[in-house]
Amino acid sequence: MIVLNCPYCGQDRHEEELTYGGEAEIIRPLEPEEASDELWTEYLYFRTNPKGTHHEQWCCSGGCGQWFKVARDTVSHDILEVVTFDKRLSA
Amino acid sequence: MSGYRLKSGGRIDRSKPLNFTFDGRAMQGFAGDTLSSAILANGVGTIGRSFKYHRPRGIYAAGIEDPNAMLEVVDGHGREPGLRAGQVHLVEGLQARSVTGWPSPQFDLVSAATRLMSPFMTAGFYYKTLKWPNWSWYEEAVRKAAGFGAPDGTVDGRQREYRHASCDVLVIGAGPAGLAAVSSLKGSGRDVVLVDHASSAGGALRWEAAQIDGSEGMIWADKVVADCQADGGQVLLNTFVTGAYEGNYFTLIESLVDHRGLKAERIWKLRAREIIMATGAVDRPLVYQNNDRPGTFLSTSVRQFISEYGVAPGKRLAIFTNNDSGYLTALQAAAAGMATPVVIDTRSAPSAAHVEAAREKGIEVFVQSQVADVVGGRGLRAVRVVDQAGKIRTVSCDAIALTGGATPMIHLAAHRGAKPIYDEASASFVCATLPKGWHGAGAATGSRELADVLAQGHAAGQAIVATVNSAPVANVALGMGDVVPMWQAKTGSAKKMFVDLQNDVKASDVQLAAQENYISAEHLKRYSTLGMGTDQGRTSNINGLAIMAAATGREVAKVGTTTFRPPYTATRMGAIAHHRQNDGFAPRRRMPAHSDHASNGAQFEDFGWQRPDWYTKNGSDREAAVGIEMTAVRTGVGVFDASPLGKVEVVGPDARVFINKFYVSNLATLKPGRIRYSVMCHDDGIIFDDGVVACVDDNFFLAGPTSGNAETVGAWFERWRQTEWPDMAVAIAPVTSNWAAIALAGPKARDLLARLSPDFDISGEGFAHMHFREGTIGGVPARAARVSFTGELQYEIAVPARYGQALMQAALSEGADLGAVPVGMEAWLRLRLEKGYLHLGADTNGRTTPLDIGMGGVVMKKAADFIGKRALSLPYNASEGREELVGLKPVDAPIKIGGRILADGYAQIPCPSIGNVTSACDSPLAGNIAMALIEGGSKRMGEKVKIYAEGKITEAEVCSPVFVDPQNERLHA
Ligand SMILES: [Zn+2]
Repeated sequence: MIVLNCPYCGQDRHEEELTYGGEAEIIRPLEPEEASDELWTEYLYFRTNPKGTHHEQWCCSGGCGQWFKVARDTVSHDILEVVTFDKRLSA
Repeated sequence: MSGYRLKSGGRIDRSKPLNFTFDGRAMQGFAGDTLSSAILANGVGTIGRSFKYHRPRGIYAAGIEDPNAMLEVVDGHGREPGLRAGQVHLVEGLQARSVTGWPSPQFDLVSAATRLMSPFMTAGFYYKTLKWPNWSWYEEAVRKAAGFGAPDGTVDGRQREYRHASCDVLVIGAGPAGLAAVSSLKGSGRDVVLVDHASSAGGALRWEAAQIDGSEGMIWADKVVADCQADGGQVLLNTFVTGAYEGNYFTLIESLVDHRGLKAERIWKLRAREIIMATGAVDRPLVYQNNDRPGTFLSTSVRQFISEYGVAPGKRLAIFTNNDSGYLTALQAAAAGMATPVVIDTRSAPSAAHVEAAREKGIEVFVQSQVADVVGGRGLRAVRVVDQAGKIRTVSCDAIALTGGATPMIHLAAHRGAKPIYDEASASFVCATLPKGWHGAGAATGSRELADVLAQGHAAGQAIVATVNSAPVANVALGMGDVVPMWQAKTGSAKKMFVDLQNDVKASDVQLAAQENYISAEHLKRYSTLGMGTDQGRTSNINGLAIMAAATGREVAKVGTTTFRPPYTATRMGAIAHHRQNDGFAPRRRMPAHSDHASNGAQFEDFGWQRPDWYTKNGSDREAAVGIEMTAVRTGVGVFDASPLGKVEVVGPDARVFINKFYVSNLATLKPGRIRYSVMCHDDGIIFDDGVVACVDDNFFLAGPTSGNAETVGAWFERWRQTEWPDMAVAIAPVTSNWAAIALAGPKARDLLARLSPDFDISGEGFAHMHFREGTIGGVPARAARVSFTGELQYEIAVPARYGQALMQAALSEGADLGAVPVGMEAWLRLRLEKGYLHLGADTNGRTTPLDIGMGGVVMKKAADFIGKRALSLPYNASEGREELVGLKPVDAPIKIGGRILADGYAQIPCPSIGNVTSACDSPLAGNIAMALIEGGSKRMGEKVKIYAEGKITEAEVCSPVFVDPQNERLHA
């Protein structure tokens, strides 16, 4: 059971207070009509699913309601980094 | 065999006799007994029949590792179909029954039959017969033979509760290792939780002869526990740690037992900073011919029966061992006054001290010997001992104690992904590295001698925080010694050597799996069912893996173990689901006018809210009432409580641009005071919600998602605002529960609304279909929308929630002479079906796009991007022949919801299907009507299709889904 410290409200939030939002840093092409079928399919469906460091979106849904980004090790479940949504993860 | 109560000894309270029954026979035990020890003390041999071969089986061990002792138990609080007898505290009046064997385990009719079928059910039986010749030939027999009791459908009277907690140090196991850690931490200020599954602390000290720090082991144990509690520590007895999860989060199940039995269970969710894993070990049995006969026990369990419960498991004991601990069992048996036992030792050079001590008591010792076979079926009468030279002697005994070494209980670390590694020194699997914050100590790490166990426990405590406390000092006369592995007896038939007693897996099954190339540990488990029982293979896995290693010429280390998963031991579903039943399942959400609905005889159903399905006021049965409610809407006026309907405010200078990104329809042109119906997609183009959007003014839009998605849509808007368009000047306010909403529907709806004193023009021209007004009604603030779900003239009036009840009352009383009746969900949904309006989630599924429900034109007209737009032109969304929503009229028989549409050209099943019926009902105006998703449906108008439902094939005609008022005359009235 994961505990994350929300970078917005500063509270430790337990998994039951959080909402998981899939992989982070997925770019929605700015000009959808210009995007090829391949590019759009890539954006919609293809994810890295790594064994190891994974960039994720989480929401402090039981707390302040803000979305933020987390780097998590998918094997050990170690939380490597937590940043506000406007920042890029470095881990 | 014939167990009996020893004249003295044990930690039971002989002043408190307890009456209980086993298979209807009256028996007596004492306070402090478990069901296992009490049954054994009453001389019971056979307690059940084995899973596949119906061989008689008896009590085998004292704890949860016993593969045989699964019994049905009725205590003063409830009945359980299959409990491990070693885990059940004996209480007055307890009734236990065998759950295997018919008509009784002593006389089993199936046994004779299955013996004839013995080749049947070897390794791979399920794999093979599911393919060939025919599973159904065996299924009935297998199902009859399988299982350990059945639930009787009653709800027990036990209480359950959840508790959340955290601590600095969680010590799992209150044996000498765990207690040494606790004593090491004394005075450290750390918040300690000490857990043990037994009803008293001490672990093996409860039955082993040992001195610690100069006093008897249990006196030391009691003092450590008392000190821990005085220090503020929490001691949870009768508690299993059932699972270990990331973040050092644990689930625990605590049993609370009173004089009538298991009164309550408390499930703990506990988070700890540091963990001492002192979970101990269980004896590993030895594998030889007929090693499953009643009267066969694990050696340590025999010591426990004798010294903790004062029970002799038989008159004369044989001990079969490959390590020194077997001698401890022999000496305890002799000291307890049992007939002089005999030791059969596989080793050539046992410890001289142990042999000496045994011989001093007159105990005969056979070295370099093995058990070749046993004499006796339902009860052991003798063992045949074969020595190095092959000479066989028959030694009479009625019980045999086995130790082939120990199996460390590493489950919890393994739950966290710690990898079990074979340790040659202890001949067992241990975890070389533990998760972060974990410290191993004692037998769980493969240690065997008390001095090592105490030193490890102390060191674990010191690793957490250094204190001035010194390590406890052990004084034991004779140690456990090293293990010289012996995985399978050299004499005897592998077909009669049982590895897994619960699942009846024999050495020959493991060898057959090897021969058929199921050689990995995980394959072996699934192919042979080794270790898949409720004992989780505690006594069988390692032997099975070692026999596999031998059969494939590998080292045990190379075979590895299977994956350990929670729970650590079988857990009652009730403990997990606890109070989540009836009203404890979820809070009931009630609408503001709930009591009025109740007094009108509402039959409530849970749609996330408690909503009236129909009203007994309108009819004595559901069909009658629903008919009256529908007719009222079509001819007079119906009053429907729409309070749960979603309400999400989108406010700010960018509100219009923002909301236009979500809906399929163009909202850029929606004028203030106007409403548009639309659907909303995920970015993959699949419909996820539908509803109306009102433009209150240019900076203020009010979205009306479906009741079921009210929260989801608010969160969806908010997520996109934060993550994709953080620069937009817009705020989102989900206000669903702030407003109550009442819908007035029917030709007389306007007359009724007029009587409710609106302060705005409600004439047909002044307040037309799809218009929105803010004002007051009856003097309270109101938001009124002229929209229709029923196809009739309809208003939806939202007022602050506190006025909801008054509005409902006023609508019904003011409308009485207009024929106003309350309308429930069922009538409401049938009215919309008559009109061909889709019901989200019923008429759409996880593949339905706006193009599939006839909104292609709307999509085409919208130039701006919206969520889901780009995906609609991906090839599979744009392809021909997709399932499209259409209407259906019956040709020969009423249409059933859920019916499958047969592919073209087929008249019988099995055949391919091209869709299914998504909604169906009987309509007072249109008769039997339905909607369906059918491949290429929009091009099938007038075609006949065949529908398979409930075993019958019927015919229907594809038509427009609008069955009532296709010209929308009623709507615009
Ligand atoms: Zn927060």
